[in-house]
Amino acid sequence: MKRTESVAPSERPIAMGLIVLAALAIHLPLLMMKLPLKSYDANFHIFFASHYVHHWFNPWNAKWYAGFSQATYPPLPQQWVAVISRLIGLDMAYMAVQLAAILLLALGVYRFSKLWVNPRAASFAALASVFLGSESFLVYSAGQLATTSAAPIYLNALPYLFEWVRYGKWRSFLKASVLFTAAAAAHHATLLFGSFFFALPVLALVLLDGRDGDRPEVERTPAPAFVLRTVTIIAIVGAAIAIVLLPFWIALIHYPVTQTPIPHPSRANYILSPQWGLNYFIVPYGALILALPFIAIRGSMVARLRPLLLGFWVAFLIGLGGTTPVAHLLLGRAFEVLTMERFSYWATLLALPFVGLLAAELIDRFRMRAVCALTVAAAFTCALAVAWSTFRPADASNFKVDSVASWLNRDGHDNYRYVTLGFGNKIARLAVLTDASSVDGEWNSGRMLPELTRYGAGALTSSKYFGEPGLDALRAVLRHADRYGLKWVIVRDHYYDPLLKFAGWRQVDDLEDRTITIWSKDGVPPAMPVNAPQIPPHWQGILWGILPFGSSILALLVIFIPDGRRRDRPVDHFLDTHENLVSGSVAS
Amino acid sequence: MNKGRLLAAFISVATVVFIVIGTFWPGPSAVAYAGGKSLLRPSSTPTAAVENLGDEIRLLAWEKAYSSLGNKAQFTEQEFEHDLTGYYLSLRTYATLESFDVRPLHASNNDAEVQIRLHWSSVVGAFVNTRNLRVVKNGDRWDVDWPLVKKPLVPPQVIAVNYLRWDVIDRGPGDDWGVQDVEAPHVRIVDMHPVQRAEGVVILGELLNEDVVPAYVSVRATLLAKNGSPIASEGSFDKISHILLPKQVTPFLINFPNATLSEVGSVRMGPLSALVSASADPVIEIENQRLNPAPDASLTGQLVNQSGQVVNIAHVLGTFYDKTGQVVWVADQYTDSALLPQSPVPFDVHVPEDLARKISSERTVIATYSVGGFQ
Repeated sequence: MKRTESVAPSERPIAMGLIVLAALAIHLPLLMMKLPLKSYDANFHIFFASHYVHHWFNPWNAKWYAGFSQATYPPLPQQWVAVISRLIGLDMAYMAVQLAAILLLALGVYRFSKLWVNPRAASFAALASVFLGSESFLVYSAGQLATTSAAPIYLNALPYLFEWVRYGKWRSFLKASVLFTAAAAAHHATLLFGSFFFALPVLALVLLDGRDGDRPEVERTPAPAFVLRTVTIIAIVGAAIAIVLLPFWIALIHYPVTQTPIPHPSRANYILSPQWGLNYFIVPYGALILALPFIAIRGSMVARLRPLLLGFWVAFLIGLGGTTPVAHLLLGRAFEVLTMERFSYWATLLALPFVGLLAAELIDRFRMRAVCALTVAAAFTCALAVAWSTFRPADASNFKVDSVASWLNRDGHDNYRYVTLGFGNKIARLAVLTDASSVDGEWNSGRMLPELTRYGAGALTSSKYFGEPGLDALRAVLRHADRYGLKWVIVRDHYYDPLLKFAGWRQVDDLEDRTITIWSKDGVPPAMPVNAPQIPPHWQGILWGILPFGSSILALLVIFIPDGRRRDRPVDHFLDTHENLVSGSVAS
Repeated sequence: MNKGRLLAAFISVATVVFIVIGTFWPGPSAVAYAGGKSLLRPSSTPTAAVENLGDEIRLLAWEKAYSSLGNKAQFTEQEFEHDLTGYYLSLRTYATLESFDVRPLHASNNDAEVQIRLHWSSVVGAFVNTRNLRVVKNGDRWDVDWPLVKKPLVPPQVIAVNYLRWDVIDRGPGDDWGVQDVEAPHVRIVDMHPVQRAEGVVILGELLNEDVVPAYVSVRATLLAKNGSPIASEGSFDKISHILLPKQVTPFLINFPNATLSEVGSVRMGPLSALVSASADPVIEIENQRLNPAPDASLTGQLVNQSGQVVNIAHVLGTFYDKTGQVVWVADQYTDSALLPQSPVPFDVHVPEDLARKISSERTVIATYSVGGFQ
């Protein structure tokens, strides 16, 4: 059968400058409005950053869980927030780092997509990343700064990985190593799972390259060289990450996360629980759902796209949470610890080269009609994901915690610890504002108090939403109020009043038109430091303050080293080389 | 078929198969978020019908649960909901259905009786509600007849209130309770002894308010090893009545999980008291109190609210004595329905089997919680 050629990529790719302008036009106003502050985790990251502002070289944070180590969470985006906050304050610094991540993502998607598709399709993929539903969902609803910061760094590293393994370019080796390390310093899970979803397809692409019989001038990478280069970069990057995140690994080894798993709706079956399907599938994917058949067909038909398709497929299936048994089978116990929305995020990133390809072909064929349809689809996807933070806000009641913070900060109240009830994710904002220490917190993997780790519940402030485990944890903590110097319970949900009354707590004050009540227990001794064995030694604090942030500075420096002579890659002629397409396909 | 088409077909089919497996045989997390449901349970048996009803109650899908009932014409959806969550604010209102057990009692071709035990979790602890449900065959499905307990009606009446009340004037709302510049009320532990139980060491005792003013009280105990070093320190938490009027006595129980009595040299007790505002209202009378012998030893009776205000939650604390008058156990129960004026509400306090034979007398103390009531 005669192969049908696609329309030749006669038009030039969209200039990166325009894509950046599009990203600025869409996201800058939203970030200037501080929309991410309404998300689940934005205040959590700001809280971590606020600690780095005051204690750059001491990861021990006494404000949550009666003391916990921030070395249990890779620090890079939060440290950048801390640094920039010196100029523009914590909130705007968060927005600035988030914006940088969004811009880097467009660049990363472009560079990553160019490995698979022609530059024009890659530029469409980069433009699509600006409108990507999963990106907006993570930025504006989930507030996952670490994930959305690490992924673009990682995507930018992958082309260097390709160039190193394919051609043995040492400059690429250096850049890939530094960028991978910086990505790990931003979010370790991205690097771990990214290796399977992103790096393995890229390595497979190296093997596939040069096996095209139509292009004998393209040389193959010798197998020994491939193995040696792959092993070398794995060893070097592994060692670099081990050193840069050394306090993190030490904390993980000494105090592994053994606590009872906490339920998360991303592990639901999205068909049996359609409300979660809407939240974790429809919103992050948006119009990209319409492209799924194209991804499956084109990814299967074109040999060099198959690794990318397989990476996407596995990430897609895991991102479906409990809708399929795949996530549970592949992740094991980690399925009960990780949240699944990040897998959907990675799946959508892996889908973008296909989306770029589809967009290019549609525009070539249908011109303005395709442009209009794609624009509407992209706008709808982005708008839905951005608006989702309003349709389904992380915290339905928006209230200020300033009065609570000032109450805690006055008259020696901060000599004792406190816990809030009914504050939702405002506890991170309160922790930023107050000097007092709490026994609660939002970083479940960092907590060590046995009363909290024994039960499968998250933050005490939302105990009732975790059912019996949540209430058991709350009662266990209140029972040991004396042990932790827990004198104040600040209540915004009267659901908890009976427990406090029968357990011997007394209402002593109220704030905000009596919507917030303060309960106290008599005879509680002042708070004393606890968890002393978990406090990282000083040398770890020094490492934590220097190496992760230093890795990002190094990445910024090496990225400006010129790439040298550009090698001609078959990807530049990708559409000339795709195979087995038949008449009637989208490309025909 | 070429390799590409084969791969596309495989990926598509495998995805569908995975979704089908995950939906028809969902994992534990998926089942939990679907309210215990999978797609494989039509109401084709009496047990399945009751299980479906239990799932809907757990999901708070009141409309769906109500519409599935066979006898829904006898009451409204709102009455059905309030029958489960309480007509007045009560512990049931504060509870969520954690799980349920279903046990068939008997069945014929056209009707059956099925028992459902509803395990509720509430802010003060778990409690269980048992209902025997009649299930009737309706075509190829079974419908549940819900045994509705009608809303208790309190007749219009005037209740004279004549109770003591003590007010404490402090320096203002910013004044921390418990640090007033006044002498603390005099309280005294009148009985205390440790016992070894399977779950650890338990300290039992009674505390008396000897003063003429009300007192907030709590008790803290520290187990000391034979060399005098502390082993563990715990408080009475909710196993005590924290507000004591003058000359009132409260039992207390302090748990030391995983401790061993043989390792304990002595116990340091720390009763704490502070002056607080208090009221003798609401007055709760106990009627038909009875100590039921083993097996299933329990203290049962009825609480009658003698005041004019609704008591939303009552906490029954039973103190059990042996022949010599020594405390042998302290047990408690929270009532799951509100105490309306003059309307009896039953209570049933469980007593451990091994201790039931030693008990010769008992005394009951009631602590109450009313929304917006006297703190």
